[in-house]
Amino acid sequence: MAKAVETQNLEAVKSIRRVPQEEYYLPGHRTCQGCGPALTYKLVSKAAGPDSIFLGPTGCMYVANTSYLCSPWAYPWMHTQITNAGAVASGIEAAYQVLIRKGKYKGKLPNIVVMGGDGGSIDIGLQAMSGLMYRGHDVLFIMYDNESYANTGIQTSPATPYGANTTFTPPGEAIPEGKVLFPKDAPQLVIGGHPAVHYVATASVAYPVDLINKVRKALNYKGPSFLHIHSPCPKGWMFDAAKTVEVAKLAIETGMWVNYEWEKGEYTYQHTPKEYKPVKEYMKTQQRFAHLTDAHIAKMQAFIDARLKAPGIPVALPVLGPREE
Amino acid sequence: MAKEMFLAGCSAAAHGAKLSRVEVISSYPIRPYTGIMMELSKLVANGELDAEFVHGEGEHAQVSIAYGASAAGARAYTGSSGVGVTYAMECYSPAAGGRLPCQMAIADRALDPPGDFGSEHTDVMSARDQGWIMGWAETPQEVLDNTIMYFRIGEDPGVMLPQFCCQDGYFVSHIPGKVVYPEQSQVDEYLPPFKNPHPLDPTKPVSHGPQIYPDQGPAIDLQRAQAFIDVPKVIRKAVKEYNEIFGRDYSPFLDEYRTDDADFVFFLQGGHARTARYAVNHLRDKGVKAGMVKLRFLRPFPTEEIAETLSKFKAVGTVETSTSYGGAMKGGNLIHEVRAALYDVPKPPAVTSFMAGLGGEVVTLDEFYNMAKVLAQAAKTGKVDQYVYWVNFDKGV
Repeated sequence: MAKAVETQNLEAVKSIRRVPQEEYYLPGHRTCQGCGPALTYKLVSKAAGPDSIFLGPTGCMYVANTSYLCSPWAYPWMHTQITNAGAVASGIEAAYQVLIRKGKYKGKLPNIVVMGGDGGSIDIGLQAMSGLMYRGHDVLFIMYDNESYANTGIQTSPATPYGANTTFTPPGEAIPEGKVLFPKDAPQLVIGGHPAVHYVATASVAYPVDLINKVRKALNYKGPSFLHIHSPCPKGWMFDAAKTVEVAKLAIETGMWVNYEWEKGEYTYQHTPKEYKPVKEYMKTQQRFAHLTDAHIAKMQAFIDARLKAPGIPVALPVLGPREE
Repeated sequence: MAKEMFLAGCSAAAHGAKLSRVEVISSYPIRPYTGIMMELSKLVANGELDAEFVHGEGEHAQVSIAYGASAAGARAYTGSSGVGVTYAMECYSPAAGGRLPCQMAIADRALDPPGDFGSEHTDVMSARDQGWIMGWAETPQEVLDNTIMYFRIGEDPGVMLPQFCCQDGYFVSHIPGKVVYPEQSQVDEYLPPFKNPHPLDPTKPVSHGPQIYPDQGPAIDLQRAQAFIDVPKVIRKAVKEYNEIFGRDYSPFLDEYRTDDADFVFFLQGGHARTARYAVNHLRDKGVKAGMVKLRFLRPFPTEEIAETLSKFKAVGTVETSTSYGGAMKGGNLIHEVRAALYDVPKPPAVTSFMAGLGGEVVTLDEFYNMAKVLAQAAKTGKVDQYVYWVNFDKGV
């Protein structure tokens, strides 16, 4: 139906020194000190550049970035409902396809980037995200993962890890571990059932060059792509705001987070440590896990050990689920 | 000379959209509106219409796709029926508040439960406060004409509002009627290409929909209300020019039938007006001074026109075809707005309402005759005994 339109071609950067100096996500917003998602936004914006349209489903990066009708973006940006970012992005992409085809828009197809939180990506936003991926629109959907509904006051989401203390999973006598469920596997939700998708990757704010190059690679693919970006939240996870990158790095060193690419069916892994540290090393940096017993931490370790046998590829839960115990 | 065709309401809507050169279409199947998308998908597949046809994963996505496309500067079209209309409810306010003039075709269907395919206006009447222009067509011809007119009205730079272009499910959507099919060149003359003044364009960056704080809310709400205050004059001009170019005789807001010396009128919107016209003819044959007033736009509601027109009669009966459970008049919605519009009239008519055509029931001629008896009595006494009559259930109807 649609004829091919000219798209962007973004070069990989070789080192942090070669990252563009220009800022497209500008100061003046109200994110917290040490905000992981804000750092993600800064890096993604540098990677995508000015010939881009960004969409912000409701979440921290909408609420803390826009206030009093102001916004910090140097490219066009649009709020979407937390539910429908994938669908609004589909409409924008479809519009550009037809406007370019009819000669009504003269430029190349802009980079269309959704910056969704975990809720807007794989919980309430899952249906629209899946619709976009299935239909093959040329859109990059980014899930900046701060592992909770943070903007509403740190409530559990499907990305919140087992054992986390959130305001909807407070630990108590009857439920000592707080959150009892293990998280959804976000990249697998995309990889597992969307034949139009050729590129899915995970990235971390601890490795900015890798993050930038994954954004660029994803944007260069024609068709939909998905990035899952680990974006620690000092407020929600309860750690010192100076330690965002340290916490993100420790997640990789303990296997709590794995950086990988899935490209046309092939997995490649980045930043794999020679030997994984115990997950306890990571968990003890954050007050959200402070209530956990050794038995709980062992359960988390068992889950991570199983997952690390084939990172990125889903495994059956190696521990008892909440209805099995 | 324009050709004549025989089209049902669904096909008429699809051809109205094609003649309007819609650029992005978003679909999802639900009866009875589905026929619109079936027809449009053929036109796109045949290459008769150059548009992106996007299969939404639900009505919520359909409306989101449409307003996203509108934000990027394309003319966008979608549609739905029944629970599909209510499923998309979250997305109506962002489209209207974003001043994104996409169009949504509605072929009404009763809501669940119980599951019912029939036409009832409650589906989209539930969305009447979301800031969309809306009104009903009576015939396939009016469906096609409204589709084109609504784009012209909604995309007016002083309006910039989305539109619900409504028709009754089945009674209009599935019963073919004669349609005078406009020339494309006439439509192109009437409807210029859509131009979004603030599109999402990297060469002119803008932000759509940043947060506000409560102190900024009233001013923005006022702007949206003001836009609606200005819509009627745009409608008058758009309808007048449409009549001139296409040789029609639509009145902008109220279509009156045999009202010149009428004692009472049926007041309604949509397809049941067809039956009402026949009922009025038969009543007139028997010497009963009945008439009909058909509402063409529910939003903006033509308050002044209603006050002026309906105050000519002794009694008015609204035929509701929708529900407002527990509302002021304990029946439908039309009567609320009609009575409000008549409040300051020096000698208002007696106004009552009839719950008819619910769940897709046909409103029969006999039912109109029974309503006429109630209205004739009200015209004689100058008052109504009840605010609402459930037709076929209440005494006298």
